[in-house]
Order: sequence, then C-alpha cells, then structure tokens
Amino acid sequence: MIHPGPVLETLTHRLAETPSEFLAEPRIGNSGAVVVAALVNDVLLMHGARAPAADLARFEESDPKLGRNRLALVMIASWLLADPWLIGAAIAQPALLEVLDVDLRELAAGAPAHQFVRDPDRREELARIVLARLGLRPQGETVEQATDRLSSISGSERRRLLKESRAANERARKVREALARKAAEESADKWTRE
Amino acid sequence: MSDDHGDHAGDSERYPTLGEAGRRMLDFMRSHPAAPLFRNASGNRLLAAEVDQLRQFEREIGAAPVGWAPGQPPDWLAAHVARTFADVPHYRQLGSPPLRFEDIAPVSRADFAADIAPFVPDQVPLERLINFRTTGTTGHPLLIASHPVVAARYLAFHKRALRRFGVELTHGAGQVGVVLLGFQRACFTYVSVTPAMGESGLAKINLHPNDWRDPADRARYLDALAPEVVAGDPISFTELLTLPLRMRPRALISVSMLLLPGLRAQLEQRFGCPVLDIYSLNEVGPVGVFDDAARGHVLLQPGLYVEILDSRGQPVAAGVRGEITVTGGFNFCLPLLRYRTGDYASLAAMADGPLLLGLSGRSPVRYRLDNGEWINNIDITHALKSLPLAHFGFHQAADGALTLRLAPAALYLADQARILLASLFGAQLVGVAVLAAEDKVLQYTSDRDGALA
Repeated sequence: MIHPGPVLETLTHRLAETPSEFLAEPRIGNSGAVVVAALVNDVLLMHGARAPAADLARFEESDPKLGRNRLALVMIASWLLADPWLIGAAIAQPALLEVLDVDLRELAAGAPAHQFVRDPDRREELARIVLARLGLRPQGETVEQATDRLSSISGSERRRLLKESRAANERARKVREALARKAAEESADKWTRE
Repeated sequence: MSDDHGDHAGDSERYPTLGEAGRRMLDFMRSHPAAPLFRNASGNRLLAAEVDQLRQFEREIGAAPVGWAPGQPPDWLAAHVARTFADVPHYRQLGSPPLRFEDIAPVSRADFAADIAPFVPDQVPLERLINFRTTGTTGHPLLIASHPVVAARYLAFHKRALRRFGVELTHGAGQVGVVLLGFQRACFTYVSVTPAMGESGLAKINLHPNDWRDPADRARYLDALAPEVVAGDPISFTELLTLPLRMRPRALISVSMLLLPGLRAQLEQRFGCPVLDIYSLNEVGPVGVFDDAARGHVLLQPGLYVEILDSRGQPVAAGVRGEITVTGGFNFCLPLLRYRTGDYASLAAMADGPLLLGLSGRSPVRYRLDNGEWINNIDITHALKSLPLAHFGFHQAADGALTLRLAPAALYLADQARILLASLFGAQLVGVAVLAAEDKVLQYTSDRDGALA
C-alpha cells in the first residue's frame, strides 16, 4: 500500500457496472461459455505482460463444486484489472497472477462471486484487496487509513464466514442424524409408495 | 395381528390427532380375524393445524393449471432458483446463480445418494424430518429427506389424477380409504388413518403368503376392508387378480413400474373401475398420470417444471426423446433444481398442459438386429403391450443372443411373446428364461457394445 492508487469509487463503480459477458458461465468441462484462462491472458497482455501456459492452467477447473465460484470471481476481477488507471500503471505479471489466483481463491470460498458486483460492501472489499496486493492504496487515503479500512471490512467478513462454515458443517451432521432416527425411518403415510 | 406388543406404544406420535373414529378404524384393521401380520409401525404424524393446511393445499392443487409450456418456463422459476442458491448448501457452494437457467449444472440420483444433507435447505426444522428409502436397481440406494406434510400432500395429486377419470373420493369415518399392496418377500406393512379424509383407514399390506396365517385370508381381509382405492404396482396387481375378491374399489392406482395396456385392461375389466398408471418417484412425488386419449402422461404438479435433456445436459428440441429433468416440486425438504430423474420421454404441448410421451424408465437400451440395424427398447414395450405381463426382462448377450425373461406364472405367454417379437427381430431366435426374482428388476439390459445410446 506504499503507492497512491486510483480513486476507490472509480473501481467500485466499475465493479457495479460489470458487463454481463463477465458474469456469464465459466467454462468447466463441457459446460459454460467463457474460457477463463484465455480471459486472464488477455488482461495480462493489456498490462504488457505474458504468462506461460502452465501458469494459465491455474485458471482451469474440472469440478463445478470446487471451481465454478472461483472462476466466476476471476472473471469479475479481470474486468476490474482492465481499469484504465490500472492499465496505465502497467502492473507486473507476478502481482497480477498472485491477485487473480491466490487472493481470489480465499475470497471465492466465502461468498457467491456475483455479490462482489451487487453488494456495496463486497465491491469495496474486492477493490481494496486488489489494490493492497498490487502495493497501492486508494487515492486520498493514508497508509494507516487504507490498512484500517481493509482490515475492518475484510476481517469482519472473515469472522462471519468462519462462523457460517462451522454452522454449515454442524447443520449437515444434524440433518444426517435426524434422518437416521427411528421415527424418521418409520416414515409417514403416503397414499402410494414408489 | 400386530407385532406392536399389543399396547400400540407410540400411537400418539404416529397419529397426533387421533379421534374416536380413527381409534376404532385402527382396531378394526389390526384385529380383524383375517388380518395379516403387520411387521412395522408408522402413521400420518400430522398436527391439527397441518391437517387444515393440507385441505387448503388440496383445493389449490385441484384448481391450479400447469402454467408453462415446453420451452416456456413458468413465472415462478427465477424466484425458485434464487431461493435455492441462497438456502441450499449444495447450491450455495456453487456461488451465484447463473444468468441463464440452462447453465445450472443438473444433479442426478448419484449426487443425492452420495449425501442428501447438502440438499436440505437451512430453514427446514429437523425435529420432524422423515426419510423415504429407495433401493433401486441402478446401484445408488437413495435416502430422501421428507416430512409428514410432504407425504400427506401426495393425496392432493392423486385426487387431481382421479378427477381426470371422473372419480371424486368420498370415503370418510368408518371406511377404508386406501389399501397399498406389495408382493415381495420382505415388505414394510402397517395400518394408519387419513385425518383429512375423516380418519378413513389406510393399510399397507403384503400379498405374499408369508405374511398371512392362511393365504385365503388375503381375499377375506380385502373384502372386509372394501377400500375406495387400491394402490400397487404391476406385480402386486397381478397377484391380486388371482384372489377370489368381491370388493369393488372405485379406482386402482399403479406406480413404480411400467404398466402394460394388456394388464391394465384385465384389471379394469375385473374390478370395473379405472386403473391409473401414475409416474411417481420418491425424489419428486407423483409426476404424471397416463391418459389414453392423450397417449401420454399428463403432468400433475403445477409447481414442477419439466425439461428433456440430452446426454450432455442440453435441452433437446420439442418432441425429441431425452432424460426427464425436473425443477421445483412440493417437498420443501428437497427443493429440486434440474434433477435428472434417470427416466426418458419426450415432451409435447396439449390444450390443458404439457404431456410426457413414450415414458420409459432408466437409460434407453438399443438392441442390434442381424442386419446391423438397432432398435430401441421402447419398440419392445410396444410389441408386447397387448400381453397381460406384470414384469419381464429382455437381454442381449455380447454375441447377440436375445433372451426374454418371464415370471413363472407368465411363461404360458412365451409363445405369444415370441410371435410378437418376431415383428421386430424377424427370424432371429429369442430364447425364453425364467425370471426368478419376485422383486423389481431392471427391465432392459444388454452386453453388446453400443447398446447404451
């Protein structure tokens, strides 16, 4: 966050206006339209960078349950990284790949990707995380202000997610137990049985 | 006879609203001198407020049209998708709902079989969860999450189907509403009452002689119960035809398996009432009822959207056969989103709603003719439709040899079956073997390469 970056609102506004092509289905196996690795390659080229095929392969997935949401978020972040101010800053390839791969994996585990377009808090979170990873801070903010704001918006979200994830595991266990009870096994009246 | 230790412990949980009429009905069904051995216990488990809600539900289902046409999704679809992606852990894990409905990845029986818990919405209370199990023949035993209200809702769809055949149910207190028949070595059997029908009786019985002190008691008991409806499958109905019965039910309802027109005609003639062939699945409930005039299954659930998908999960053009895939439903413990049923049909539009044509269970199987052509299993169903067969198996070995398997009681039909099959296979020899299992079998199988189209 050493260097001053763009005005935060230009990025959050850009996210709010994400074109529908960037919200389409990522290609996984035989389904989905957008080949995300190719999209990432395009963004790198816009920044004057290139990446070997092995690096781009990090943006391919075979299981929708594990990978669909992450790839959907990579598509949204690709749109964000094509912001004219950021293009003008010619971000280096390793930093771009790091933010698109590592940081987004964590974010995608916690919320549906399209919330980073539709929800104001999530838009701000994504914009701040991308800037921080690129060593930038929002224009008009000090390093301390930018750090505080990021940790506040991101930290509370992380705590909520952790709680939700524990609750989800607990809930699944309780559903299995409830279905195995004697009364559940006895079932109830239907006028026909398949 | 009852194995419930005589004191019927647990009746208050199984029948929370039980009144005097219901108590007398349970006693009558349990204590009748010809009663079978009831091996299990179950009940309606409905609370008083739920009984009122069910009556309202029945009125709504009776009146509601199926508000969509093939290729034109219903109005409620978008809200259902949004709710399911928000409330159901499996879908939440996928992220945001796709912009296009067709991009939602379908789920199949294997997904439910692996773990049903992630498909149960967050807000479903767990205290009164029940399950329905399906062993199936596809290698994926299923445990379906359900609720007493969901189970009781079946009746609303049966009434909708019966109305199509001019039957309005009238039975109430002191009468038996329905007898559910099985004919298996092991079968879940019990008695109950239906609160929304004045506590009329419900008995689930097994016609297998093992469950009776005297096999002749089967007819005595059924005549004593004189149910308004008898529900079963082609196997139990075939056994029913062997009994010297006087009962006159107002309708027979067949579920679970293909009901050939030959058997249906025999049943209609014998009992003098309509025989409904209902396509129903544990995962979905009653989907459609066969209508002779329409020559297909008319859909029964206003809240169920049906698509036909190809093997890659893409919707097929109108009139093309593919896998029946359903969205919506009435089980609030298991909201469905593009659930691939494993059954095949094509979809057509009719004046009063969509229709499933040429329904057949499980993956289509092709059979290779000597001249190198392939024919579909549905052609075999058509060829044999005039025979009163309860069930059969048809197999092609890797070397091309064909075998028709018939139950011992149906072997007398073997020559007729061979003649009918000659219209398809010409001079190719069709061997006949005995179908030993009394339980349900996978009807069409093949070991030939390319048989699973």
